[in-house]
Amino acid sequence: MKKRLLACVLAGAMVVGSLTACGSTQSAEETTESGTTDTAEATGGSLTLEAGKLKVAAEVGYPPMEYFDEDGATPIGFDMELAAAIADEMGLELEIVDTAWDGIFAGVDADKYDVIMSCVSYTDGRNEEYLLSKPYVANAPVLVVPNDSDIADVTDLSGKSVAVQMETTADYVMQDQIAAGVDVDLRQYEKVINAFDEIKAGRVDAVCTDAVVASYYLGDESNNYKTVWQAPEAEPIVMCFKKGNDNLKDAMEAAISTLKENGKLGEIATKYFGSDITADIDY
Amino acid sequence: MDALNKIITWMPQLLNGAKMTIIITILSVAIGLVLSLFLALGKMSKNPIINKPCSAYIFFFRGTPLLMQIYFIYFGLPQFNPALTIKSAFVAAMIAYTLNSAAYLAENIRAGIQSIDKGQNEAAKALGMTYGQTMRYIIIPQTVRRLIPPVGNEFIMVLKDVSLVAIIGLSDLTKVTRAISSSSATALVYIPAMIIYLIITAVFSFIFNRLEKKYSVYE
Repeated sequence: MKKRLLACVLAGAMVVGSLTACGSTQSAEETTESGTTDTAEATGGSLTLEAGKLKVAAEVGYPPMEYFDEDGATPIGFDMELAAAIADEMGLELEIVDTAWDGIFAGVDADKYDVIMSCVSYTDGRNEEYLLSKPYVANAPVLVVPNDSDIADVTDLSGKSVAVQMETTADYVMQDQIAAGVDVDLRQYEKVINAFDEIKAGRVDAVCTDAVVASYYLGDESNNYKTVWQAPEAEPIVMCFKKGNDNLKDAMEAAISTLKENGKLGEIATKYFGSDITADIDY
Repeated sequence: MDALNKIITWMPQLLNGAKMTIIITILSVAIGLVLSLFLALGKMSKNPIINKPCSAYIFFFRGTPLLMQIYFIYFGLPQFNPALTIKSAFVAAMIAYTLNSAAYLAENIRAGIQSIDKGQNEAAKALGMTYGQTMRYIIIPQTVRRLIPPVGNEFIMVLKDVSLVAIIGLSDLTKVTRAISSSSATALVYIPAMIIYLIITAVFSFIFNRLEKKYSVYE
């Protein structure tokens, strides 16, 4: 018995030991990295993690904002083309980091990429934890229901099932409704397409999702569905940086201003949304 | 202490997730076991009309990722034919896990049956027993004990594979853990979650060890 106990303690100590070891390596890396950035900045050089390269994170799977082209390998979409145009403007090489939505924010804090451009909606919570840019597209969660549905407002959702992508603003909006006493059967999925699969299969009564993606997903069947409600608080789309990374934020905002002036931004928006939904943004 | 308090507040959600994990595991392995006996006997049949489909079934379910099978059963089928829509995600998950574990278990059962000495078959035949009688009274009872370790193994595999049900919107222990982790912005919740998995595994390993001892009388 005693021997077994000793073995347990030893195993435990090893686990703790290896965890601490990992921790210290990471902080060492961070110090070196921030060290280089500082020197680079002092000499007027790189703003980014890797000199000359802009690493942009996206959950590639959210058309028309970011998704793979038909070859299944080339990321395209509004965010992706805008990122490319910004990188071009700044004279940087673009690298798209495709990552799961779940955990995308932790990655920017861990210096895995410079910025998230993945249809990130502005929320007060996110604004506290991260550095957010000025909004570059207007957006808000909406409810999509079949044409013959009797759901006309969010208050009609009592006893109904609603599909959302987990941890998105649409998910939060529905959770707020539940907290406020609306008896919603909330179904959370990893990919937004699955929420639409559900409504097409008739297994849920409504989908709550970003206005900018709703029409894309309904595709050929868009005539069979209608948008009935829009969240009162607009949730415009922003770029998300690690706190303290103001220099990069300013540089990327300046690049968007230039793109807006020379018409490139409007061109990309028209390509993906059918109209220039960026015309009213504050750039 | 702060960490401990957090873990305590998470416990009800984690246990709810664990309940889903355990129910899917037990039901799918239990039903899969019944199905697999027929598949195993079917695959060993000399009649090609029986053995070909059984072999194809086992080949298909062992040869494609479980993730895709779940996805296809739940999201794929309705798109081919609306009549194939499975209303409940839980039922869809049960079907996928049962069909999948039946394929793996069938191979275990076949190996178990074929591990019984051929002489016993011949002896039973000499006594005038039919194939059915030989299987029922001679071969299968001896196979049971040899089957317990691989079934226990399959059980533990399924227990962890249940984490895939998150893709069809069900909340098992892993999904709950990830949701808590992202809303609380800490990975702390993974520690109690892993401990719960280990406890479930330990309990079932104990039960399977007991069963193995009990059925050893046949050897």
